Amino acid sequence: MSITYREDNNTGFIEFDQTDSKVNLLTAAALQELDKILDSLAPAGQRFLPQGASLPAGKSLPAGKSSLKAVVIVSKKKDIFIAGADIKEIEGITRSEEGLQKAKAGQDILNKLEDLAVPTIAVIDGAALGGGCELALACQYRLATFNEKTRIGLPEVNLGIFPAFGGTYRLPRLIGLPDGLNMILTGKSVDSSKALRLGLVDRLAPQNGLDHYLNTFIEDIRQGRIVPDKYARRKTKGLASILEGSLLGQWFIFQQSIQSVLKNTKGFYPAPLKAIAVIKKNFYLDRTKGLDVEAREFNELAATAVAKNLIHVFYLSEQYRKLNVEGITPKPVEKCGIIGAGVMGGGIAQLLSYANIWVRLKDINYEALALGVRSAAKLYRDAVKKRRMKPYEAAVKMDKITPTLDYSGFADTGIAIEAVVENMEVKRKVFRELSAAAGGQTILATNTSALSVTEMAGETKDPSKVIGLHFFNPVHKMPLVEIIMTAQTSKETLAGTLALVRRLGKTPIVVKDSCGFVVNRILLGYINEAGRLLEEGNSVVAIDKIMTDFGMPMGPFTLTDEVGLDVGSKVLHILEAGLGERFKPVEIFEKIYAQGFLGKKSGKGFYLHQPGHSGSVRGVQPNPAIQPGHPGSVRGAHPDQEEILRRMLYVMINEAARCLEEGIVDAPGAIDVGMIFGAGFPAFRGGLLRYADTLGVSAIVSELKRLEEKLQAQRFQPTTYLLKLQENGKRFYSV
Amino acid sequence: MNRIAIIDGIRTPFCRMGTEFKDIDARELGRIATRELLERTGIDVRQIDEVIFGNVSQPADTANIARVIALLSGIPETVPAYTVHRNCASGIEAAAQAAMKIQSGQGSCYIAGGTESMSNIPFYLSKELKEILTHLSRAKTFAQKLQALSQIKPAYLKPRAGLEMGLTDPVCGMIMGSTAETLAKEFGITREEQDAFALESHLRALRGKTFLREEIVPVIPPPAYKSAVEHDNGPREGQTIEALAKLKPYFDRRSGTVTVGNSSQVTDGAAALLITSEQKAKELNLKPLGFIRAYAFVGVEPHRMGIGPAHAIPQVLKKAGMKLKDIQAIEINEAFAAQVLACLKDLDSPAFAKEFSYEGFAGTIDPGILNVNGGAIALGHPVGTTGTRLIITMLKHMNRHNLNTGLVSLCVGGGQGAAVILER
Repeated sequence: MSITYREDNNTGFIEFDQTDSKVNLLTAAALQELDKILDSLAPAGQRFLPQGASLPAGKSLPAGKSSLKAVVIVSKKKDIFIAGADIKEIEGITRSEEGLQKAKAGQDILNKLEDLAVPTIAVIDGAALGGGCELALACQYRLATFNEKTRIGLPEVNLGIFPAFGGTYRLPRLIGLPDGLNMILTGKSVDSSKALRLGLVDRLAPQNGLDHYLNTFIEDIRQGRIVPDKYARRKTKGLASILEGSLLGQWFIFQQSIQSVLKNTKGFYPAPLKAIAVIKKNFYLDRTKGLDVEAREFNELAATAVAKNLIHVFYLSEQYRKLNVEGITPKPVEKCGIIGAGVMGGGIAQLLSYANIWVRLKDINYEALALGVRSAAKLYRDAVKKRRMKPYEAAVKMDKITPTLDYSGFADTGIAIEAVVENMEVKRKVFRELSAAAGGQTILATNTSALSVTEMAGETKDPSKVIGLHFFNPVHKMPLVEIIMTAQTSKETLAGTLALVRRLGKTPIVVKDSCGFVVNRILLGYINEAGRLLEEGNSVVAIDKIMTDFGMPMGPFTLTDEVGLDVGSKVLHILEAGLGERFKPVEIFEKIYAQGFLGKKSGKGFYLHQPGHSGSVRGVQPNPAIQPGHPGSVRGAHPDQEEILRRMLYVMINEAARCLEEGIVDAPGAIDVGMIFGAGFPAFRGGLLRYADTLGVSAIVSELKRLEEKLQAQRFQPTTYLLKLQENGKRFYSV
Repeated sequence: MNRIAIIDGIRTPFCRMGTEFKDIDARELGRIATRELLERTGIDVRQIDEVIFGNVSQPADTANIARVIALLSGIPETVPAYTVHRNCASGIEAAAQAAMKIQSGQGSCYIAGGTESMSNIPFYLSKELKEILTHLSRAKTFAQKLQALSQIKPAYLKPRAGLEMGLTDPVCGMIMGSTAETLAKEFGITREEQDAFALESHLRALRGKTFLREEIVPVIPPPAYKSAVEHDNGPREGQTIEALAKLKPYFDRRSGTVTVGNSSQVTDGAAALLITSEQKAKELNLKPLGFIRAYAFVGVEPHRMGIGPAHAIPQVLKKAGMKLKDIQAIEINEAFAAQVLACLKDLDSPAFAKEFSYEGFAGTIDPGILNVNGGAIALGHPVGTTGTRLIITMLKHMNRHNLNTGLVSLCVGGGQGAAVILER
């Protein structure tokens, strides 16, 4: 039993309290229970009478019952109203019509709730997301608490679907078309004060003494002090009201939404576009027809591969975001030392200060320190400009970063992160110094992207405190962190590092110390392959376009320009030394590097970057000085587009399999999390290895063999891991 | 004996008003000094009993600036803080407060500092304009608004400079520079003497640059964060006596001798000290730079405010039971060259000593031990901060040269003098 009904002081309370769970979910079973309660209330619903009114002639109340003032929906869970629908149920939708039935069933029950003659109130004290939000929308009134855990929203698009319990119908009507569309299309939730501003809730109340405020609220409803109109709580003024009120204005808003969705998703994600199409229809229909459109379109989406892939990614991200070491509760880090105030050091300093951690930022001169401080300040300035932060908040956080030339203040740090140049000699020296300057409690971390953490640990008194903590550039944007364990890294060190990463809101994967770890190792094989394709006569633009069409946020050459060819070439050399000939930078890279075309930083790379052209590189002209090699000069060239794509992808899949074989990571999920959140591999494809699974291991093996044969290239030789999978008829995810 | 220990002190560079620090407000300057002090001493912030800051111009948007500085520096919310104002001796007052609290057993560990951003002292609206604007904000109808606006006269729009108001004594009606002119005339101090003193201040500050660097935390100033300021920007390379002589008297154009060249500079900067009881220092294993032996504050005529040190010095010596000759180094704040020279003359005069019963406690001060690394004429005088700066500069100097005793003193606007004796 997860929902109970009781009456108190002529008010009905529907209480959600899912058994054996920390949260309430709107499962099919819960919906059934709600349905029963609503059915039992339907006659009682008639019990509601406005004050002073008398019963219609011939009607009488059931014996022992007086008229109900209101029906209130509450949760008995801490910080949760209803967290959403059960994702497993959505994942389980495979048959056609199954989605339709599920949506209809939910819609009908929420309609019943909406149609009660009694005022209905959702009391939201915590997360009201997805189905939970839709349930609240079906109530006539919403009262939220000041609880900072209160979040209200419809995040369905993140799972490749859209709200289908009437959310697309009710929300735009309640809070207006622009805000309603925005919430549904972005999936972003709002806190209670924003919800009040939007008109999504009617009033806010403190958690303490909530009963009292609820009674006042009910009284105010009875006295007519709150607009009884179900929708349109918000009055718009001026231009906005003209825009929203006219058909032409609405058409314009829809067009704008489509364009912004296309810009953000490049059309790879069907859910938001479908949601717009649905709202564009049902905004002008009555409830029955409107909800019918919603249910039908939902049915189309729910069974798609994209939705399944996004749900897979959702599970993975939930799993890895919460990684911890069982049984160890590390002390929260209060202060962090950072050595090296370059792009990475400055970025890490900003990220930590943003999480209210004190930062001691060390470098060897003030020019370097100024650069790091400046880059952190710029991020805060941008956040203020975009109104994500108030100026005072940014100032207080910025104040947490103090620059220094020596190691003063390092003794009481919880963690020290080295982010100096990728040079083993320099890093060893830093770790020697750090080991002397840091305290016994300090975790010593390196932000290296490829070098041996074990070797650095060798310089310290206590190698068990040493760990790799590889952030990706730009630090504030990239969600992934690779945590690198050496053979000596202690559990406590890992636990402390994971706790810090969780606090920073990043998603970690835990990787064994080995050359290039996971993401760079897989990614650079791909970039090198792109270089070979360039040597074989394919153009920079064509190769990049094949990958962006596949769904990568940018092509391999655009990416190289962003990172810098100097960095790319350096890491390739490190990988070549550690992993073998397949990572030897292709000749054309060396030639281009020698000409000083480093990418964005030098103004010219594979593309020309005009000064002042900030932001996106797309639309930038290719560098005419970079000419593809001659077709036919390389054996086996003349690949078609399909083969170009396959070569770049299969090189990655083969390398990923090698990582699993070597035990660098323990599960295919770690690789997919790494590639999606660290390298921008398209989430709608579910990740590199999930994508491989949809292609089928056998198909991949035979294509790898064909390529090996055709190009006489060992790098395509299928790894033992793949061959074993094939032999046992397994997939990556079925091991 | 449980003496008052000064563990360490740190300050920002001093930058002339309107230069590198013009976009850093007083609380931020104070925060930079305080946080760096915490980092360098490695003190556990939970040990701190209270934070006390001196500040003169007290920005309207930062009520009780000490509290704001404490919180921004990472000192726990449970630690109280308050701001003190004794005009130019506010920094000394903060340290004296800490000493008093330790002596009276209220606590054993304090942050005491001073902060001042003279670049950010605002201009004020005229009273008339303020009233019209108040009416305007209350006006409901358009007509009422128009009516209110129509009362504005051009004369009302003239703002009043807060800096100038702050430097003018409301009792004697004189701006500080004029009080220096008064002393110059009374003691017959020539323009040449004053300019020579000013030049010496610059030369000493330039020579002492690397020494002064030891007490400075470099600051990378916002909003550009372009590069770090590592030194005071007041001392002028290539300053000549001829250039100083060319300047027009600023406060008395016709017959005066006080110029901007022989006056202290208007400056931004902050400084902070960690002050503990001697016993607490031992418990925490902290090595003090030195100790506060005695301090004294005195009152003088407001229109002769610059003479303050001539009284504060003998009085603090009396308190400490020491003679002037026992003191190995002296800092007298250079508010104006004329004022320092007047103090030296008074202290040197047997008649003066007799008049005030300072016999044995006054005498000649050797210029060789006075303001050895320059003073406010070269380094600048961020009013709320100078007192703290003098203590730091003196203690570092004493440690550098292995001296046992030092004395710092300031004149105070409004007619006061302050002095502190430091020992190791």
